[in-house]
Amino acid sequence: MASAVAHADTHEHTHYTSTGLENRKVAIWAFIGSECMLFASLISTYLIYKGKSIVGPFPHTPWTSPDGHVFKPILNIPVTSQSTFVLLMSSLAMVLALAAVENRGKPGYVGTVLGNSKLWLAATAALGATFLGYQAFEFTSFVHEGLTIRTNLFGSTFFTLTGFHGAHVTAGVLWLLTLLSIDIKRGLTPKDTLLVDMCALYWHFVDVVWIAIFTLVYLIK
Amino acid sequence: MATTAATPTFAPHTAASYGQTGIWSWITTVDHKRIGALYLYTALFFFLFGGLEAGLIRWQLAQPNQHIVSAEFYNQLFTMHGTTMIFLAIMPLSAAFFNFLIPLQIGARDVAFPRLNAFSYWVYVLGGTFMTLPIFFNSAPNGGWFGYAPLSTLPYSSGLNIDFWVMGLQILGISSLAAAFNFITTIINMRAPGMTLMRMPMFTWMSFVVQFLLVLAFPVITIALVFLLFDRFFGTNFYEIAAGADPLLWQHLFWIFGHPEVYILILPAFGLVSEILPTFSRKPLFGYNVMVYSGIMIGFLAFGVWAHHMFAVGMGATADTVFALTTMLIGIPTGVKIFNWIATMWGGQIRFTAAMKFAIGLIALFTIGGISGVMHSSPPADLQQTDTYFIVAHFHYVLFGGSIMGIFAGIYYYYPKITGRYMNETLGTWHFWSTFVAMNLTFFPMHFSGMLGMPRRIYTYDAGQGWDTFNMISSIGAGLLILATLFFVVNFLKSRKSGAVASGDAWGAGTLEWSIPSPPPDYNFAEIPVVTSRYPLWDLKHPERTAGIAHSAPDVMTITGAHATPVHEETGHKTAAELGIPMPFNTVKPAIAALAIVMMFGGLIFMHVGHFAVAMTITISSACLFVGTLYAWLTSPLE
Amino acid sequence: MPRKRPRRLASALILVAGALVLAACGEKYPNSTFTHLTEFNTIIDGLWNRLLLLGTIVFVFVEVLLVFTLIKFRRREGAPEPKQTHGNSTLEITWTIIPALILVLIAVPTVKAIWETEAKAIPGALEVQVIGHQWWWEFRYPQYGVVTANELYLPAGRTVNFQLNSKDVIHSFWTPQLGGKRDVIANRTNYIWYTPDSSLAGSVFNGFCTEYCGSSHANMRFHVFTVAPADFESWAAHQKENAAGSPLEAAAPVAAPKVASVAGIKVSRAAKPAPAASVQPATTGYVFPLDKMPPYTLPQTPLPVGDREVKYDDSLLPGGDASRGHELVTNMAHMGEVPCLTCHIIKGEYKGVLTDDNAKAPNLTHFATRHTFAGGIYRADAPTLARWVKNAEHMKPGSLMTTLGAGQYWPSMKQTRTTGLDDRQIADIVAYLLSLK
Repeated sequence: MASAVAHADTHEHTHYTSTGLENRKVAIWAFIGSECMLFASLISTYLIYKGKSIVGPFPHTPWTSPDGHVFKPILNIPVTSQSTFVLLMSSLAMVLALAAVENRGKPGYVGTVLGNSKLWLAATAALGATFLGYQAFEFTSFVHEGLTIRTNLFGSTFFTLTGFHGAHVTAGVLWLLTLLSIDIKRGLTPKDTLLVDMCALYWHFVDVVWIAIFTLVYLIK
Repeated sequence: MATTAATPTFAPHTAASYGQTGIWSWITTVDHKRIGALYLYTALFFFLFGGLEAGLIRWQLAQPNQHIVSAEFYNQLFTMHGTTMIFLAIMPLSAAFFNFLIPLQIGARDVAFPRLNAFSYWVYVLGGTFMTLPIFFNSAPNGGWFGYAPLSTLPYSSGLNIDFWVMGLQILGISSLAAAFNFITTIINMRAPGMTLMRMPMFTWMSFVVQFLLVLAFPVITIALVFLLFDRFFGTNFYEIAAGADPLLWQHLFWIFGHPEVYILILPAFGLVSEILPTFSRKPLFGYNVMVYSGIMIGFLAFGVWAHHMFAVGMGATADTVFALTTMLIGIPTGVKIFNWIATMWGGQIRFTAAMKFAIGLIALFTIGGISGVMHSSPPADLQQTDTYFIVAHFHYVLFGGSIMGIFAGIYYYYPKITGRYMNETLGTWHFWSTFVAMNLTFFPMHFSGMLGMPRRIYTYDAGQGWDTFNMISSIGAGLLILATLFFVVNFLKSRKSGAVASGDAWGAGTLEWSIPSPPPDYNFAEIPVVTSRYPLWDLKHPERTAGIAHSAPDVMTITGAHATPVHEETGHKTAAELGIPMPFNTVKPAIAALAIVMMFGGLIFMHVGHFAVAMTITISSACLFVGTLYAWLTSPLE
Repeated sequence: MPRKRPRRLASALILVAGALVLAACGEKYPNSTFTHLTEFNTIIDGLWNRLLLLGTIVFVFVEVLLVFTLIKFRRREGAPEPKQTHGNSTLEITWTIIPALILVLIAVPTVKAIWETEAKAIPGALEVQVIGHQWWWEFRYPQYGVVTANELYLPAGRTVNFQLNSKDVIHSFWTPQLGGKRDVIANRTNYIWYTPDSSLAGSVFNGFCTEYCGSSHANMRFHVFTVAPADFESWAAHQKENAAGSPLEAAAPVAAPKVASVAGIKVSRAAKPAPAASVQPATTGYVFPLDKMPPYTLPQTPLPVGDREVKYDDSLLPGGDASRGHELVTNMAHMGEVPCLTCHIIKGEYKGVLTDDNAKAPNLTHFATRHTFAGGIYRADAPTLARWVKNAEHMKPGSLMTTLGAGQYWPSMKQTRTTGLDDRQIADIVAYLLSLK
């Protein structure tokens, strides 16, 4: 009869739940569900308007404007591949950060690089910020080359889609920095696993969305 | 069991007993029951306001070629009537029940995220006010509740009207989404031990399906509105004809949201009917499993029928065929519910309380609306029906005859639980019959005027077109409908003080909410009950009623872990402190966060009156306020 | 007893409603969709009859069952506890399968009708381009070189294939008596076709815009005239010609201009012909006779009152001089006050950079052959036309035709016009418009 559950302190956070999962875990999955539909709408719109712009610049083909200016295809796949790699690596760092927090105090993690949650949280945030740096660079160079959000259908759909994604990455970076500051101030313990887990889930989702965007916008012509 | 003559066994808890009095306690409440009450009062107000808008519409259309209101104002009236009724009346009325009822039905002490719950309410009331005030300045949204592009784009709607609409809906979307995350978590995770999914009350089940519809449908309209917002404020090209945009993009995105939305509007009412019929037939719901599965099917199919709103846009024969078939398909689980309800009453001992009358009214009237709905499912026939008053007839039968009747039924049924007093049955009967007759008088003629050629959304019509008599009848009906609603308003307000006192088990029902006092104490359940079947209270008081269904108790570890005890009726004499139940703190942070959100969106509108700097100041500072409040909220404990 | 009173009142109201409905049955229904005047409507009506039959059967079955249940199983004093049934699989299956079968009965003819009605039109059909504008209809006949507005002439017995387009927002093209509707959308061409029965020569039908399109959505109507094929050819041939009074391209000798009488106003030409080229004579083609138009096709829209009233002295109208009007409208030196030709095309008159495709307003070349105007909401008679020219924005909510009368309040500019046309000039312009046969 006696069990860890039976003697759980009522003022701890481990309330009884019907599934054994914590409430916030369930909630973040519901939130991810809504975000799937959000990005699905943005991506669908991009695909519907693909190839329909009346004026350039275009993503994969060159274009000559009526006044004679020649525009190269505007997407730079080699550079964006780098930023994609960076974001993928950030997901790896996130996995390691979560493992470090979950397993704090366990052998193999104490005092090792693996167990250094501050390092991995900082790395995830830094890699995420690097990705955002690449995005900023890409956006500004596109504007210099003549593509703005108002230029044509491609500009509107491209900047809105990648902009929304970038905003989500930004929110994720802020979340990571908050976790990092908690880790620095009082240290994250296995009891905080849920907080890091929620962030990780969100971060991986944002990464998966980028894979979809990279494939459908950049790779597929 | 309980009748109006029953003596209550306790004195209803007064707010003073747990220190919750005064306006500030309402602004800072995180109690789901109070939030439910706030939703109820606010939504009823908007319902009456939307009804007045309809009254003006019907006055204008009573006769041909009238100019009681100008064309411009009429277009604002019909836009706001639709927007108000859907987003500010019916959805929040359902939310009132989600809030009040779901924790009580599943044996929980509150929802999963009480502060998020409060936030949802404040966003709703502030957003609703934001969207409603402009009508007093002749600047109300005027693009229809559906806001088709390109009419809603800047070149064709250069005033602020559509800006208010776009911002208002975005704000309301935040409210609905936040609430949906809350209720999904609550229903999945906070059920009393022994309450498996297939033992949940029908209202909770239908609400559960609705929350998924909300989570999946609202992001789509969010994006549609983002595109329109960006076009109007930042010059993008999503709906810009000159840039080659496809106007149908708006329609597809809107209706992918819009069709699930109508099931969001009706399923809660279906759930309420499924609670009420068994109680007043003295037998269980017929075919509970099928009722659950048909609800799930409807939710699922809801995402596959959207383009039946677009049969006239020229999608092509294949698309028309596919959507015709899926639309017909969704009629099957809906029809199955009607038969199960009738079978519930069949062989029973039917007691015609006001709540029961309205529930039966839903069955009678929704059937009519459902039949006309199937008529629209045939695209060639729909080419004559669509955009005429035939459609107006259909959706008023399903929304007024369906949702509103169900909601009224729920109000009469749950008023004793919420307030501790019954509503007056005589006034309720007058309300029912006058509403039933007036509703039919108003909307039945529209089937005729529609098929006889009268288009929708016209501020006037010429004489001699064959529509005069039908319109006159509809307008008389609308006037009577407004009068009929007065019976309700008087009853609702009066019974608060003078209604007969109700006990916890006010009607002899079988679900958990009736095992605690009326009104419930702030902690709901002194002891979390163990549930052994679908009708836990009947298990306790009328075991013969539930003899025919499976019973089982959860394992001892679960019961102990949840600190639960067998189902029992509670008297609520003790306070939370006496019982050692930690209660969440009141907090104003949700209200402030809500205000910040509304100001963020509202501030942008200043861009369209030439004050770019003002717009940026308001938007950015409110964003900072929001982030700051959120931070304070997330770092402060709940209880 | 309180219980009975509401029910008696309800019965009384139902009787009153019934009486009203019966009274309504006496009305004529000139826009009824239940016609067989085209094959399109016949197919739709066949579907409708089936839907109505099945719908009525289901309605009667369900409501009777419901009422029966309510009466038979109402609570009786001292009755035992009812049998606590939880469900019945056989019943569930039955009332799932039967509705499914009913739906199959609807689905099969529906799918058949979809493919029939959305097939391509037969080759040799009359091609009509329908272009929706806020708030008027443009009709073009590419096979005949005709561009007109608000009045659609069709030869009875011949299939017409409509190509539908919009220049601005979404509208919907609907003639309830002849067929279903189809939306007209920018950046997209939709198609709809039907064949008005050959017996319909000499008929006229109402048409409506049926997609909310802004302020004057209710005022975007049109008429369809189904006429004998020979009459149609005559009409089309004439509509193609340049406007009466417009300069002829080749300087050829021309007969003395005729003096015609239109709506009681004498239209006279100047004593001397125009100094340069000679002018298009005022010939006529077939026009549907006004006196054959049934009352429900003639608009009864009242003139605006209150602060939207447009005052005009009708006694000035008989004195309107068409040639002075012609000079005002077509001489681009007057463009500041009379900017008609910056939006309207009058074929044969100066039009600058206006083409059929960028003209924002109805083609007025043969305006006087049309019986209604302003989106079919007003009769094309002189007093109404005068008020329209004077202040179109008051005459039609949201009208994109600007206010022209001096001293008139100008809603779109939120000011009162100081300059503009005076009433005499308006009389001349009206006379000119009514000469454009």
